[in-house]
Amino acid sequence: MRVSILILILGMGLVTFLPRFLPMAFLTRWVIPERVKMGLGYIPIAILSAIVFPILFFNEGGKVEIQPHYLLSAIPVFIFAWKVKSLWASVILGMLVYWGLGFVL
Amino acid sequence: MLNTNQFRDGAKAALPVVLGYLPVGMAFGVLARQAGLTPFEAGSMSILVYAGASQFLAIEMISKSISWFPIVIATFFINLRHLLMSSTLSLHFKGHRLRTLSFLSAQLTDESFSVAMSNTSKISNRPSYLFGLQMTSQIAWIAGSVGGALFGKLIDHKDYGIPFALSSLFICLLVIQIKKIHHLWVMMIAGISSIVFKWVLPGNWYILLTGILASGIGIAIEMAGRDKK
Repeated sequence: MRVSILILILGMGLVTFLPRFLPMAFLTRWVIPERVKMGLGYIPIAILSAIVFPILFFNEGGKVEIQPHYLLSAIPVFIFAWKVKSLWASVILGMLVYWGLGFVL
Repeated sequence: MLNTNQFRDGAKAALPVVLGYLPVGMAFGVLARQAGLTPFEAGSMSILVYAGASQFLAIEMISKSISWFPIVIATFFINLRHLLMSSTLSLHFKGHRLRTLSFLSAQLTDESFSVAMSNTSKISNRPSYLFGLQMTSQIAWIAGSVGGALFGKLIDHKDYGIPFALSSLFICLLVIQIKKIHHLWVMMIAGISSIVFKWVLPGNWYILLTGILASGIGIAIEMAGRDKK
């Protein structure tokens, strides 16, 4: 491995590890106030929304633009996931619908 | 000590993530090779960094001959969002040994975190379960990247609905999180604010900021609900 790439990888590894590790290292040892715990309870839903919604409304260049292919695929997956809470089946369904729509759109 | 049953359970829970990571990892491997990285270097990055978005950005910056320092800075900011996930996970591993926590946190990703949070009774004080989930996910990511770098495009990552695999996973994980009516409100607020933040801010600050804003609003809604009672 080239030294420049090794330095790059170690640097990236370190700055990625610290935000992953430090909260866990400290907060597992501190007493957490109830209200903070309550807020942390909303982190999964907040982050998941922040991941899913922009996929539907931004193009690859990062400009606002409705993405019909993603949007039309997302709706059946959303309804299916609501009825059948299966990760596996949702992923397969999503891929099939997206693939199928590719022939139509 | 590693609890084998829990580890196996966690590994099974990772399978939908594996489905998404293999092709995306492969796409990373292909691009890394095109940018001049060897398969060993691409694999090392997937082992030691293990963060999809920043790895793709690094490859793009390498191919533009940008030096290591700006790439590391960009990586730092992209991955700051893990602060929130690590904080959330901390509630489930009170007082565990730092060595255990360092292993668990090193493999934290959006995908494995979200799968872990879809059933918190599985992870609470069960580090082996989370370790199995995350280890399996990372092995898929490493295998994908090395495979892509070695063999090139075995499958076209734009075909067979692959671009929508991880999105479908996230949609289902989001639905699983909606357990009460006010969760829907938090989802709508987070969805709209993430779009606004992404629109006006560079990089992926929108995830971190949406996380802070929407959880704050969640607290406010929940407190307001309590006061009424």
